Amino acid sequence: MQDTVTTPQPSAVSRPSLSTQDKTSTGITGSQPWKPMVTPASVKSKPPTSGNSFYRMRRIIAEDPEWSLAIVPLLTELCIQHIVRNFQNNPILKQLLPEHQQKVLSRLSPDLPLTVTANLIDDEGYWRRCCTQRWPVCYVAQHGGSWKHMFFERHLENLLKHFIPGTTDPAVILDMVPLCRNYVRRLHVDQFLPPVRLPSPPRAVDQSDSGSEGEVEESTTDHYQLGDLVAGLSYLEELDLVYGVKDCGMNFEWNLFLFTYRDCHSLAATIKACLTLKIFRLTRSKVDDDKARILIRSLLDHPVLEELDLSHNLIGDRGARGAAKLLSHSRLRVLNLANNQVRAPGAQSLAHALAHNTSLISLNLRLNCIEDEGGQALAHALHTNKCLTTLHLGGNELSEPTATLLAQVLSTNTTLTSINLSCNHIGLDGGKQLLEGMSDNKTLLEFDLRLSDVAQESEYLIGQALNANREAARQRALNPIQFMSPITADGPENSAG
Amino acid sequence: MTTVPQKLAKLLLCGTELVTNIQVATDTREINRRVEEEEIKRQRIEKLENEVKTSQDKFDEITAKWEEGKQKKIPQDLWEMLNSQQLHCAGLIEDKNKLISELQQELKTKDDQYVKDLKRQSDDICLLLERMEEQVKNVMKTFRQELHHIEKAFEVERQELLTNNKKKWERALQAHNAKELEYLMNRIKKVEDYERELNRQRIWDCEEYNMIKIKLEQDVQILEQQLQQMKATYQLNQEKLEYNFQVLKKRDEESTVIKSQQKRRINRLNDVLNNLRSKYAKQIKQFQEENQSLTLDYKRLVMQFKELQKAMRHFALIDEKKFREIWLMNEDEAKDLISRAFAVDRIIHTHHLGLPWTEPDFLFLKNVGPLSQQPQKSATQVVEEVLMQTEDEVEEAASDLASYLDLPKQVSAKTTKKILMLLCDESGFLIESKLLSLLLPLEKSECYLLRLDAIFSALGIESEDDLYKLVNFFIKYRAHHLSISQAKPPLQASVQQLSVVSEQEMDMLEEEEETLVKDREQEESLVEEGEQEESPVEQVEQEEEKESPPSPNLIHPNDVLKTLEAFVMGVNKPRELRGPVRVPKVECNDSKDSEYWLALTTVIPPTKQNLWDAFYTALQKYHLVLTQRAKLLMENEALEQQNTELQMLLQQYLDSKINSELQVPPTQVFRMPTK
Repeated sequence: MQDTVTTPQPSAVSRPSLSTQDKTSTGITGSQPWKPMVTPASVKSKPPTSGNSFYRMRRIIAEDPEWSLAIVPLLTELCIQHIVRNFQNNPILKQLLPEHQQKVLSRLSPDLPLTVTANLIDDEGYWRRCCTQRWPVCYVAQHGGSWKHMFFERHLENLLKHFIPGTTDPAVILDMVPLCRNYVRRLHVDQFLPPVRLPSPPRAVDQSDSGSEGEVEESTTDHYQLGDLVAGLSYLEELDLVYGVKDCGMNFEWNLFLFTYRDCHSLAATIKACLTLKIFRLTRSKVDDDKARILIRSLLDHPVLEELDLSHNLIGDRGARGAAKLLSHSRLRVLNLANNQVRAPGAQSLAHALAHNTSLISLNLRLNCIEDEGGQALAHALHTNKCLTTLHLGGNELSEPTATLLAQVLSTNTTLTSINLSCNHIGLDGGKQLLEGMSDNKTLLEFDLRLSDVAQESEYLIGQALNANREAARQRALNPIQFMSPITADGPENSAG
Repeated sequence: MTTVPQKLAKLLLCGTELVTNIQVATDTREINRRVEEEEIKRQRIEKLENEVKTSQDKFDEITAKWEEGKQKKIPQDLWEMLNSQQLHCAGLIEDKNKLISELQQELKTKDDQYVKDLKRQSDDICLLLERMEEQVKNVMKTFRQELHHIEKAFEVERQELLTNNKKKWERALQAHNAKELEYLMNRIKKVEDYERELNRQRIWDCEEYNMIKIKLEQDVQILEQQLQQMKATYQLNQEKLEYNFQVLKKRDEESTVIKSQQKRRINRLNDVLNNLRSKYAKQIKQFQEENQSLTLDYKRLVMQFKELQKAMRHFALIDEKKFREIWLMNEDEAKDLISRAFAVDRIIHTHHLGLPWTEPDFLFLKNVGPLSQQPQKSATQVVEEVLMQTEDEVEEAASDLASYLDLPKQVSAKTTKKILMLLCDESGFLIESKLLSLLLPLEKSECYLLRLDAIFSALGIESEDDLYKLVNFFIKYRAHHLSISQAKPPLQASVQQLSVVSEQEMDMLEEEEETLVKDREQEESLVEEGEQEESPVEQVEQEEEKESPPSPNLIHPNDVLKTLEAFVMGVNKPRELRGPVRVPKVECNDSKDSEYWLALTTVIPPTKQNLWDAFYTALQKYHLVLTQRAKLLMENEALEQQNTELQMLLQQYLDSKINSELQVPPTQVFRMPTK
């Protein structure tokens, strides 16, 4: 078209004698007659195809009145269907357009083998379907809000829970490593099965009676060694293990719950090699002093470890001393030694480490037996410590002397926000002293004194002070947002008063 | 509303407390259990230990009895003992069994306890669940209530807002309607107006349009004409430009050709430049080498020059000597000639003229050696001399020399010395203090000498003349008669006299010189002559001292300074003019030489020469006469001799035999001419 229109122009230009008006007029007139000539030609070239469709359509309508164009799926739709059907053999996803990808993903079956899907599909919707299909209860927030992470973490946990050393092929788990290495941040395994021994019942009875043969027994009851798996998971941050058996029922045996020395050593090596680990929990696993020390020694100077939870074990003073050493050789933020057998010396060593520590913010010594000596040492340590915010000393046989010292700490310390002294024998006088200490404190938000023989009056007054502190903290949290804070802050305090 | 958050917080807190109460209760129970357990454990252990002890005792007793039993021989006793032993053993076993059963009982109770605890725990868990559910329900309820309240309040607010807004809206709508109507009326009115206006405008526009059309058509025609013209000019311009373009193209070609030529030239010139540069570099090197060689040459030349100078000095000395020798030779010759002339003159006078001859007396005839300017002695030298005189008074020979005055006539050496001593004493302030300290250890005379030297340098007295001027001034100042300027002429006269007298006395003093020279400081060879001449001066002076009348009273010491001041004021002016005069002295020397030699030529005065000339002519004439006479005499003699010879020959001829033999004898021939 354009060629035909432009051709007359050069001829007009080549004639310089003509006036400009003439030129334009000829140009226009030249182009006008051409256009109608061209358009029919283009129209003529089309008819064969359009005429055909017309013809066919009409015939089909005549034969089958129910047939309609709408029912015939689009080619893309057909392709997508095909892709979905053959996804296992020929996974095509990345090459598709985004909307087609979405369609494919929404139709894929959650039963597809992980070898195909693991590193190919990132879509949360697909993994959500996978999760909901496998588990009735899904709490995504625990897994960093990612369904994919949740799927892989729980899948791996499942495998580990049902792994029986000696009978199950280790490749079952190790094969998973390349698939899930990028998606597992957290491993929460609450049971490790011991190896199965066929002639177990008679022997087990004999050996359970004689403790002297425990060593021999241990070597045969080793659990799965996590070393290879953890080394493969490059983003592992949280490790939560329980060396025990769930739902054993009437098959109970003591050695089902054995955390052997070999297990301990291999675990220690594993956590030492895992440099991304931030949270390590080993609970309800009968960890005694020696094992705790082995574990803690491997955790010394760990670059990123923040939380250590060894609650519900059998750790005594020596283990506590090891933990105290760890406090000064790492950046630990949370230490949980609840329900162990820590006594006064262990608490004293912990207090010594705490006095100069600048990273620990939470210490839990619930259900130990540190008594007044340990309590006093901890209170002294809190005079110099400027970091600890949460302290749990519930059920530690504490009494008045500790309370008096803690009251002094309360009046000076400005970092503590939560103290738990429940289930102790503070006594009436101790309660009064704590109340005095509370009167000077403006930062404490929680102070648990239940069942600690404190007078109801002082407990109530302490509660009032806590309420005021809480209100102030709430206002403080609102402050940066509201510039009217002084007025609003006054209101509630007056009403409370 | 402000209390709601608190209420909710309280609800939550209470709920959690309620829920955690169970945990706390369990904890306390656990603790209590632990405590009890510990207590029981302790008791049990104690009990077991006690049991162990007692059973051990019993066992020991039994074992002891076994020993006892071994010693028993009587079977009855043995049987009894065995029985008792059996009983004991049974008791022991019974105790143990009892203990075991007790422990088993305890275990059973513990099992029951465990079951109970399990039940309790399950109850607790149930309770916990219940409470949690209750809590959840409660919280849900309250939150829902709260939400409901909020919604209600919101609804009410919304309703109010709605009604308010509706009212407002209606009001605004009414106002709007009224306004709309008004606007409509206005608009209709306006539209009518505009229509009328439009019609008017249309008619007017039509007219105007026609007019403009005509005008524009005219304009179009004019413009077309202009366009044609423009086209023509355009054509013209185009042709011109084309022509120009051609020309420029040509020029461009030319310029490219020229450019290439220029480039070639540049290349060529560059080559030349490079050549020149290399040449230049070469030349620089060459010139440097040359320069080095030249500097070497120069050094050598300087050395040569120095050597030459040395040689020159040497030659100057030698020349001086030669000059002197030649001078002496010439002088001797001249004197010889003069003496011959004098002898001749005397002969002429005495022999020929018969007059008495007196020898002319000329001073310069007595001069021996070249005339040379006596160098002016420095003031210090003079002073030194003066001082030396006084010291050497003893040594002074009583030389009877002619009256020679070194100083002006009225000043004697002694007065000079006195004046100098006075000056030295009075004007000590002119000497530097350092010098004074240095002078202390020296001898008196030396001390005076150095002091005077310093004073003279301070006063600006340099030459001998100055010194004498000073002395003169002192004397005259005291006299008050003469002006300062008059001191000059006598001084000059004295110098001339000195030179003349010294020449005359040269010969006589030669012997004494040598002895005196030793005492003085050795000076350069050039000065030696002057020194030689000085030696007589002293002696003359000393002689003068004795002869001259005692000098008049010396100037009073107090006036010395005034006198000095006046002297300095007066003398400074003439001295300034003196500097440049010194140079032409050498020429003066030459003129004196020539005068000397001229004087030598005029030893014979012209009158005498005239006389000699006249005498010479007269004598010549006389000589001529005498020679003529002598010649004549000689001729005469020769003729006489010829004659005699001829006679003798004739005789001979005549006497010879040949004559006879001859046909014609010569005698006849002879006789014929003679005839």
